[in-house]
Amino acid sequence: MGLLEVKSISKTYGSGEAAVQALKNVSFSVPKGEYVVIVGESGSGKSTLLNMIGALDPPTSGKVLIDGKDIFSMKDSKLTIFRRRNIGFIFQAFNLVPELTVEQNIIFPVLLDYQKPNKKYLEELLLVLNLKERRNHLPSQLSGGQQQRVAIGRALISRPSLILADEPTGNLDTQNSNEVIAMLKEASKMYEQTIIMITHNRSIAQAADRVLQVSDGVLTDFGRCRE
Amino acid sequence: MKSYLSLIPISAKVRRRQSRMTLLCIVFAVFLVTAVFSMADMGIRMEQTRLLNKHGSLPTLQSLTDSTMGQSLYLIAAVLFVLIMIAGVLMISSSINSNVAQRTKFFGMMRCIGMSRQQIIRFVRLEALNWCKIAVPIGIALGIVTTWGLCAVLRFRVGEEFSDIPLFGISLIGIISGIVVGIVTVLIAARSPAKRAAKVSPVTAVSGNSESINSVGHAVNTHFFKIETALGIHHAVSAKKNLVLMTGSFALSIILFLSFSVLIDFVGYIMPQSPSAADIEISSSDSSNSIDSEMLGTISGMEGVKRVFARRSSFDVPAELSKDKMFSCAIDIISFDEFDLDCLTSEDILKKGSDISKVYGDSNYVLAIWDKDSPLEIGDKIQIGTEVVEIAGLLKYDPFNSDGNTNGKITLITSGKTFYRLTEETNYSLVMIQTTKDATDQDVEAIRNITGDEYTFSDQRDQRTSGTYTAFVLCVYGFLAIITLVTVLNIVNSISMSVSARIKQYGAMRAVGMDEHQLTKMIAAESFTYALSGCIVGCAVGLLLSKLLFDAVITSHYSYAVWNLPVASLMIILLFIFIAAILSIYAPSKRIRNISVIDTINEL
Repeated sequence: MGLLEVKSISKTYGSGEAAVQALKNVSFSVPKGEYVVIVGESGSGKSTLLNMIGALDPPTSGKVLIDGKDIFSMKDSKLTIFRRRNIGFIFQAFNLVPELTVEQNIIFPVLLDYQKPNKKYLEELLLVLNLKERRNHLPSQLSGGQQQRVAIGRALISRPSLILADEPTGNLDTQNSNEVIAMLKEASKMYEQTIIMITHNRSIAQAADRVLQVSDGVLTDFGRCRE
Repeated sequence: MKSYLSLIPISAKVRRRQSRMTLLCIVFAVFLVTAVFSMADMGIRMEQTRLLNKHGSLPTLQSLTDSTMGQSLYLIAAVLFVLIMIAGVLMISSSINSNVAQRTKFFGMMRCIGMSRQQIIRFVRLEALNWCKIAVPIGIALGIVTTWGLCAVLRFRVGEEFSDIPLFGISLIGIISGIVVGIVTVLIAARSPAKRAAKVSPVTAVSGNSESINSVGHAVNTHFFKIETALGIHHAVSAKKNLVLMTGSFALSIILFLSFSVLIDFVGYIMPQSPSAADIEISSSDSSNSIDSEMLGTISGMEGVKRVFARRSSFDVPAELSKDKMFSCAIDIISFDEFDLDCLTSEDILKKGSDISKVYGDSNYVLAIWDKDSPLEIGDKIQIGTEVVEIAGLLKYDPFNSDGNTNGKITLITSGKTFYRLTEETNYSLVMIQTTKDATDQDVEAIRNITGDEYTFSDQRDQRTSGTYTAFVLCVYGFLAIITLVTVLNIVNSISMSVSARIKQYGAMRAVGMDEHQLTKMIAAESFTYALSGCIVGCAVGLLLSKLLFDAVITSHYSYAVWNLPVASLMIILLFIFIAAILSIYAPSKRIRNISVIDTINEL
C-alpha cells in the first residue's frame, strides 16, 4: 500500500447547467519517498487535485487516504492537526508570515502545535537551505528565491511524510528555480519524504520519479520517467 | 461620465456595503449635535416664554446665561460638544482610513492610468463629502424628530416646569450645527486617508494591497506569548496610526461616559431625590413643639396618605463639648423617627466610619453634621444638662440648610426616644406626610381641615422633581447609549476591516496548520490589545476630566461635595468595552471559518 492513495475522486463546482466537473474519477497511489510531478494546462484541474490531496478542499465523491487514513472522514479540527503534522505545503506566492523572521517562519507549524522545535534539526535545515546567515531577517529583506527556501524549510520542519508544492518556482528565475528544486529534492531524500509538485517547467518535470498529467479533469499516469 | 470625479457616485453604489459604517458614523455625529443644540435651543425658548409670562417683557439671552448655574451648564455643554466632535472625527477617520486601505489596489490602478496625487486627494475628499449628501440629511432629520419626541415627553410626561416647552419647534441653530459638524468632521477625517491614498505607488496595482510584506518594521516577539497571541498583538501594535485611532475610539467612549456621569451627579445635587421628601408639611408657626402627637395617628389613617413621620426640635440648648478641652456652646437638637433615620442610610448621606445603628431607640448616641470648619468628630462627647451623649456618626452636609453648610452651628440628630429623655418633649414641631400616587385634592383638603389655622400647612406636591430628574437622567443615558453603540460598531467594523486586509495571510496560516480556535485567539489578541490600550488612556484622561469637571461644576457650588472615584460608572463602561471587544471577534472569525482556504492562498 502506498503512502498516498487517491480513490475515484471527482469534483464538481456549481450545479445544474452551470456545473463544471473539475476532476473526473481520478485514482492513483504514490509510495513513500517518491517524487511526483503533475503537469497540465491552466484550468485542467491539477491545482484542484493537489488541494484535495492536501485536505484543503473536499472531493464531491471518492476518497483520499494518507498512511491508510481517510482524511475527509476526520472532523475539521482533527484534519487541521493532521495537516499540520503530516503535510507540508509550498505555494507559488511563498505565503510567508511577514511579521515573522526566517527562523520563526520555518518553525511556525511547530509553534502552532505548542511544541518546542528540535534545535538540531532546525540548524540542519538552515544549513541545507543556505539560510543560516539570514535566520533573523524578515521576509521583506529576502529575495524571491530565499523566500521560497524559507517556505521549503516551513514545509519540512515537522518532518511531514508528504510535501505538496503548487508551482513553487512560478515566481522565480531559472537559476533560483534550479537551486530551490535541488534543495527540495536533497532535503526530501535526506528525510525520506514524498513530494507531489505541480509545475509547468519541463526540465523540472523530467527530473521527477514519475509524471502525472491532468487534462480536462482526467488523469493520465505517464509512469516513471527514468524507466 | 463628464470627468473622473463622476466615478465617485458609481463607486459609492458598488461599495455600498463597505461604506455603511462610515455613513453610520457621520449620521450619528450629525444626529447627536443636532439633537443637543436643538434641545438647548428649545430650553432657551421655554425659559424665554416662562419669563415673558412672569415679567411681561422678553429677557435677553445675556440675562439667561448670566446666572452661575447657566454658566455651569454651558461649560458642561461645551466640554461634551468638543468630546463628541473628537469622537466623530476619530470614528469617521478610522472608517475612511479602512475604506481607503482596502482599495490600495484601486488607487494604484488610478495612478497607473494617469491620475495625479492631487487628483487622488480630491477624489477621496469628494468621496467623503458624497457620503455627507446622504448622511447629513438623515442625521438632521433624526435629530429633529428626537428633539420633538423629547420635548413631548418633557411637556406631557414630566410636568409643570416643562409646560412651556415648544412641541414641534425647529431649531435653525441645531440644523446649522449639524451640517457644520457633518461637513467639517468629514473634511478633517478625510485629510489623512486622502494623503495616504495619494502616496500609493502605481506598482501596487499589480502587486497586491498595502498590507504587503514591505510594510512590516520589526519581527514578532514569540518569547512571552503563544504564537497566535503574539501575532494578534503584533497586528494591533505594528500599524501605529490604526492603533492610535482604535485606542482613541475606546478611550473616548470611556472619557465621554465618565464626563456624562458627572452631569448626572450635578443634577443629583441640584435636584436631590430624597426618599424622605414630604408632599405635605405641617409645622408649628413658632418652631416650637406644639403639634399634638396624636395628630400623627389621625392623619396616618386618612385617605391618600402613604406615610406620616414627624420631627421634634429644640434650639439653642446649652451644652458642653468635650474634645481636647471642654468648651461651652449652644446647640440645636432635632429628633428623627425610625423611617427618617433609615432614609439617612439609603440616601448615603453619612460619612465613612459612622454607625447609625447605635442611634436608634433610647441610647446615648447621636448624629452630628460635618463641616470643613467644624471641630466635630465621631467619638466626641457632648454634655447636655446631666446627660452625656456621644457622636456615633456625621452627616456629609447640612440637610436643614439649602447650601449644605452648617455656618458654625452644631446640630445633633437623635432618635425620638433619646430626644424625649433629653428634653422630656412629646409633641412635634414638624409633621411630614407622603401621599399615595392616587391622592386627590379632596384628600389633601381633608388633611388641611383637621390641621386648622393653628399650624402652617404646606402642600409641596408641585415641587416634586423626580419626573424632571428621571427625564434628565434618561436623556443623558440615552446619549451615552448612542455613543457606546457607535463605539461598539466602530470597533467591530475596524477589526473586521483589519481581518479583511490580512485575509490572504490568514488563508496561508490555515493551510500550514493554524486551526479555527487559534485564528479566533489571534483576532481576540488584536482586539483586546486595542481595548487594553484604550482603557488605560481612557481611564487616565477620563478620571482626570471627571475630577476637573466635578470641581468646576459641583464643588464650586456645593463646597461639601467631594469627588470620589466613580467605581460604578467605571465598571459599567469597562464592561461595555469588554463586550465590544468580544463582539468584534465574532463576525471576523466566523467569516474566516467560512472562507475557503484555497480561494485565498493562491490569489496574487
